[in-house]
Amino acid sequence: MGLRDDVLRLLDPQRILRDPRADGEGVVVCVLDSGIEEAVLRARHPSMKPVQGAVFLADRPTPLPYEGKQSTPHGTTVADILLTIAPKVQLVSADVFGPSGTCEVETVLRALAWAVDVRKCKVVNLSLGVAEQKLQTLPKRQQFLRAIEDAYFKDVLVFAAAHNDHPITRSYPAHFAPPLISVDKSLFEDPLRFAYALRGQIEFQAHGRGYLGPFAQEPATSWATPHLAAIAARILSLQPDLKPFEMKTLLYWLSR
Amino acid sequence: MSQANAETVLVVDDEEPVRRTFREWLEGAKLGIRVLAAPDAESALRLANEQQIDLAVLDWALGAGEDGLQLLQDLYAFHPNIVAIMVTGYANQATPLDAMRMGVRDYLDKNHDLSRETFVAAVRRQLDVIRPAKHSRQMHEGLVAFREAIDKVLPIVRSAGALTEPVPIPDAVRSLIRFLRQLTAAKQGALIVRHYDATKEPAESWIAYDAEGQTLATEAIPLSRSLAASVLSQQQASILTNIEASTAGLIDLQPFERGHRTILAAPMPVGSGVQAVLELFDKETGPFDAKDQKLVQTAAEFATDLLRQSLGQRQQQAMLLNAVEAALRASDQMAESLHGTAETRREQPPPVQVLDELRRGLESSTNPGVADASLQLAEAIRVIGLKHGSAALQHCVRLVESVRQLLDETLGS
Repeated sequence: MGLRDDVLRLLDPQRILRDPRADGEGVVVCVLDSGIEEAVLRARHPSMKPVQGAVFLADRPTPLPYEGKQSTPHGTTVADILLTIAPKVQLVSADVFGPSGTCEVETVLRALAWAVDVRKCKVVNLSLGVAEQKLQTLPKRQQFLRAIEDAYFKDVLVFAAAHNDHPITRSYPAHFAPPLISVDKSLFEDPLRFAYALRGQIEFQAHGRGYLGPFAQEPATSWATPHLAAIAARILSLQPDLKPFEMKTLLYWLSR
Repeated sequence: MSQANAETVLVVDDEEPVRRTFREWLEGAKLGIRVLAAPDAESALRLANEQQIDLAVLDWALGAGEDGLQLLQDLYAFHPNIVAIMVTGYANQATPLDAMRMGVRDYLDKNHDLSRETFVAAVRRQLDVIRPAKHSRQMHEGLVAFREAIDKVLPIVRSAGALTEPVPIPDAVRSLIRFLRQLTAAKQGALIVRHYDATKEPAESWIAYDAEGQTLATEAIPLSRSLAASVLSQQQASILTNIEASTAGLIDLQPFERGHRTILAAPMPVGSGVQAVLELFDKETGPFDAKDQKLVQTAAEFATDLLRQSLGQRQQQAMLLNAVEAALRASDQMAESLHGTAETRREQPPPVQVLDELRRGLESSTNPGVADASLQLAEAIRVIGLKHGSAALQHCVRLVESVRQLLDETLGS
C-alpha cells in the first residue's frame, strides 16, 4: 500500500460528511431558480437563517427586491433540500422567473453575475437549464460558458442539473462540465450518498427525490442537484476556501 | 420636380404677342411648370378637357364677346380647384363676388404695372399656394384609394383567417384528452391554458377545458401557487400522488384538481405569454406508470407544437389585422387633418389684392361707407356658399331679394 492510498483512506465519507460541524455553517448558497416561499420553509426549518435575495425580470436591467415569495414552487423544493442536508447554510434566492413564469438565458446570466460578484456566494445551485435545441445560437452559448468560467475563476462552485432526459437531451450549462459540477439523478437510500458516473459529459449522480412540494417525490435532476450542492456546503463548512477543482476532486474520491 | 407632376399654367389671351410674351416670361422664370396657351375660350376648354389645369392667366376681355370670367366658370366645371389671375385694364368693371367665388386670386392691370417681374411674381405667389394644396389633395386622393382598397381587403383577410385557423381549441382538447384517456384509462382529464401579458390588467388569466372541450370553473390562483407552475417547472410529464399532503401550504389546487388520488400532468410551454398544462386524473386500473408517463409526455409535446403553430398563425393574422386597422386609423386621422387644412384654407379671407379691387369697384358704384358693409355681407355669403353649397347660396340670394323688395315697398324707392 503506497502513500496515495494512505492519504485517500483519510477521505472517508463517514468521517467528513458525518462530522457534526459539517452543517453548512458559514456557506452562502444561491438558489438561482424560481424564488423561495420563506414562510413555508421556516415552518419546516425553524432555525434557518433569513433568506436574502432578488427577483430578476427579462425587461428590467436591475433586480427587484425579494419579498419572501416564490414565483413557482420549484425553487422552494430546491431550497428545502439544501436546508434538509445542510441546515445552517445562508440561502440567497435569485428568482429568474418572476410573474411571467418563464425565463431567458440573459436573465440567468445577470442573476449569476449578481450571485458571484454582488452577493459573493460560494455555491450556486442551478436546478435549471436550457435544452440544446433551444440554445442553438453559438454566441449565446459562448456567453453562457464565459459566465460559468468567470464563476470558476472566482472560486465559486456552480452545480448544474442535467436534463431529465439525459443523455438523450443535452442541456446547458450542465454540459459545460469542466468548470462546474454537473449532476444527474439517481436514487440512493441515503441522501448523503452520491456517485461519480461520467455519462454523456455529466459527471455526478445524486439523490433525485425531494421532500417538499407537489412533485418532490418524482425523481428529477432538479432535486439531485441541491443534494450534491448541500453535500459540498457541508464540506465547505469544514474547509471554506476549497476551489472548484479541489471540491470536484474531493467529491470524486468521496464517492468511491 | 418631375414634368409629370409639374403644375400646368394656361394662358388665354386673344392677342398672339401677349400670349407669346407671357409664355416667354414664364418659361424664362424656370418655375418648374408646363405652359399652355390658347387664343379663345373654345381652345382653352379643349385643353382643359384633355389635361389638368392648375392656374389660368385669363384676359378679362377675350374679344368676340367672350369674357374671362365666363371662361373661368367653364374651366371650373372641368377643374374645381383651378385658380386664376385676371389680366385686365378694366378692373372696376369686374363682378367681384363672382370673381372671388370662381377662384380669381389676383389682378394684373395691363395699363399700369404689368411687367416681366410683376407677372412672374404674381404667378409665383399663386404657385406657392397651389403646390401644397395640390400635394394635400393628391395625398387625400391616395388615402381615399388606399382606404377603399383596404375596405375591400379587410373582409377577405378576416375570412381567410377563419379559414386557415386549425381545429378550434375545444375540439382539439376533446380529441386529445379522449385519445389519452383511452390509452391510459384515466377517469378524467383537463387542459389548463394560462395567458400572461404584463401590459394588461389583470396580467394573468386562466382558462381550463374538460374532456368534452367545455370550459371548467377556475379560481384566480396566481401562477406562483398553482399546480400548473410545478408541472411546467418539471419540464416533463410527472405523476403526483398523495396530492393533498404534498401540496399543502405550497400550492392551491383548482376546483377540478381537488379530490383525486393521482394526477399525471405534462407541461406544454407553448410560447411567450402562453403556457398550458395537460392533466389526467385517476387511472381506473391502478396507479399511473412510467409507460403512461412517456405516452402523455409525447402527446403533450405533439400538442404543444400544434398549439404553437396555431398561436403563430393567430398572431400573424392578428398582426396583419392590427396593421390594416392601424393603417385605416392613420388614414382617417390624416384625412381629417387634411380636411381640416383644406377647410381652414378655404375659410381664409380672399387675398388682399382681390379685396382691394372689390372695394374700389364698390366705392365707384355705391354710396360712400357702404363698401365695407357690402364686403362683410359678401364675405359672409361666400363662407356660407363654401360650407353649405350652391343651394344655400340660392337661399341667400332669395333672402336678399326679399329684403330688397321689403325695403323698396316700405321706403317706396
